[in-house]
Amino acid sequence: MRRFLVILKKELREMLTWQTLMPIILVMVIYSFLGQVINTEQKKQAAPQPITVVDFDHTATSQALTGTLDKVNFKVTTYTEGTVEDAVHRANADNSSAVLVVPQGFERGILAHKPQEVQTYTIMRNFSLVGMTGSVNLDAALSAMNQYIGDQYIRSAAPGLDPAVVRQAISRRSFVTVGTRVAEADPQSIAGIVTQQTMVIPIVLMLVIILASQMIAASIAGEKENKTLETLLSTPVARGALVTAKMTASGIVALVSAAAYMVGMKSYMGSLIGDTGGTSTGVSQAIQKLGLVFNAQGYVLLGLSVFAGIMVALSISVILGAFAEDLKSVQVMIAPLMMVVLVPYLMTMFIDINTTSPVLRWLIYAIPFSHPFLAAQYIFAHNFIAVIAGIVYQFILFVVFASIAARIFSTDRILTMKLNTAGRMRRGSWTIGREGISFRRRK
Amino acid sequence: MEQALRVANLKKNYGKFEALHSISFEVAPGEIFALIGPNGAGKTTTLRIVATILQPTSGTVHVYGMDVQKDAARIREIISYLPEEAGAYKNLTGVGYLTFMAELFASDPAVQHEYIQRASDITGLGERLNDKIGTYSKGMTRKLLLSRTVMTHPKLAIIDEPTSGLDVVAAIDIRESIRSASADGMAVLLSSHNMLEIEYLSDRVAIIDRGTIHDIGTPQGLKEKYRKSNLEEVFVEVVQQ
Repeated sequence: MRRFLVILKKELREMLTWQTLMPIILVMVIYSFLGQVINTEQKKQAAPQPITVVDFDHTATSQALTGTLDKVNFKVTTYTEGTVEDAVHRANADNSSAVLVVPQGFERGILAHKPQEVQTYTIMRNFSLVGMTGSVNLDAALSAMNQYIGDQYIRSAAPGLDPAVVRQAISRRSFVTVGTRVAEADPQSIAGIVTQQTMVIPIVLMLVIILASQMIAASIAGEKENKTLETLLSTPVARGALVTAKMTASGIVALVSAAAYMVGMKSYMGSLIGDTGGTSTGVSQAIQKLGLVFNAQGYVLLGLSVFAGIMVALSISVILGAFAEDLKSVQVMIAPLMMVVLVPYLMTMFIDINTTSPVLRWLIYAIPFSHPFLAAQYIFAHNFIAVIAGIVYQFILFVVFASIAARIFSTDRILTMKLNTAGRMRRGSWTIGREGISFRRRK
Repeated sequence: MEQALRVANLKKNYGKFEALHSISFEVAPGEIFALIGPNGAGKTTTLRIVATILQPTSGTVHVYGMDVQKDAARIREIISYLPEEAGAYKNLTGVGYLTFMAELFASDPAVQHEYIQRASDITGLGERLNDKIGTYSKGMTRKLLLSRTVMTHPKLAIIDEPTSGLDVVAAIDIRESIRSASADGMAVLLSSHNMLEIEYLSDRVAIIDRGTIHDIGTPQGLKEKYRKSNLEEVFVEVVQQ
């Protein structure tokens, strides 16, 4: 145990250098900054939007419409004189995003029950996701105006009838069911919040697995390249302790990075999807009632699944790192593992595993990294058996790969087996011999 | 008296390639024994087997009576191995590296301190020991590694090409350090293709080529036996036979 701790301390000191910490800190700062910027922009969008109304009609109806816009979160500036071009120019100068032109004779036409036409001008200044939403606001303005005119028609045609009943004779109460739990809530809101919760986990998890795998493989390859491994193997450190210390150090560094990424990513994703801080009390209560929050049991299961996934990745990376001759060849060695991580990451993000063909479904289940990606979804769906089965499967694979890794380290294969990546591009073949896998040119 | 090292009929194959063909030799406690031969002769393979890093295909290797295959863990407590062109952890300081290695060999902080002090004295690096190893020259790194090799008072030091790539002054320093440590009773198994160095340093030498030991003796004895003025000429004569 003492020697394990000595190696662990050395590995951490080797891995936690400014060179490795700087990118992590930078990513965290950049994502947090982006999140803040997007949040600020969204708050600006939520504030009353400036709209310029050019009222050439000067009637009670046109003025009433302007008042309607005030009520639906528009900051209205009205012009009754000049040309449309002047109005658009002034609106642009006032930082207004839209101009609405009410033509002369508008009220007369409305009173004659004839369809009327207004002109709208959308001022586009930037083409970002948030900036583009300015054009949508005019739809809200027109909708509010149409509703006002419609209500006027209903009141004149059927006095005493509530226009709201005519517009929406059928109302609804929405209920969402998860497992055996039922709560009254809008399914779109619930889905949005759950997506936010489950989307961050796979992204961070993928980064952690990739980072941890590269670290341990690079650690082993680096020791081989610098010939420090031979020295270490001749010291009184048990080979198992050597492997586990390297795996633990890589795991710790990867988890620290994950925490940093998680903080930055959470801020960024929260700003894109909509922060839970803005969730209404009703939706929050529904989420609680549906059990769509991680309780202690959920966190333990998710943590175990993620931990098991990282351990499997680390044990495979130890084997791959043992094949690497130097630091350059680490990337080549790790590439297949990265592909195996990416497949379930993309699959679980964009498709519903349960509706795919049985062959594809079991193929995805066979990949150990699918389980931590699916764990959050399964926990929300209260499918705990699937999560536990995934964890057990991952631990079995970990034991198998860790045993192979320990076997490699306890024999001379750690020094003798190598994959010659230098000759990969030349015509030839891979062969496996007593000394490991090597490349031979075809004659 | 128990031998520090006893190698008997040692064979090592890499796949179909036979690197060692049944070699045998012994090293007494306090003796400096050298394997001399060209690149690919089997020197490093022999040293790695004695250092418990590689496993023999057949034959036996005993270090102070312990078998390298059955008692590898116990052997590692009393040996120290310095590979050819070995590196050290570049992000650690010289003292950090010595502390790390001392902690691996001893649990008692007082003993660790004694190891580090001994190594610091041998390196002669002074204040530079507080700098990162990445800033060291090749000679400084080699001195650091050699001091690490002998600081734990190993009963058997295994040193592969002790002065490979070093300048004359650094090489002389290293040889003096080995000689000095050996005088304290440490057995040394070293390899080199620098015959001059071996002649100066070794008590006995084994001439090895293509996995076979052709002759063993003292440098003086071999020169007399083959009637040659230096070991290089002896080596050529023996290999050509």
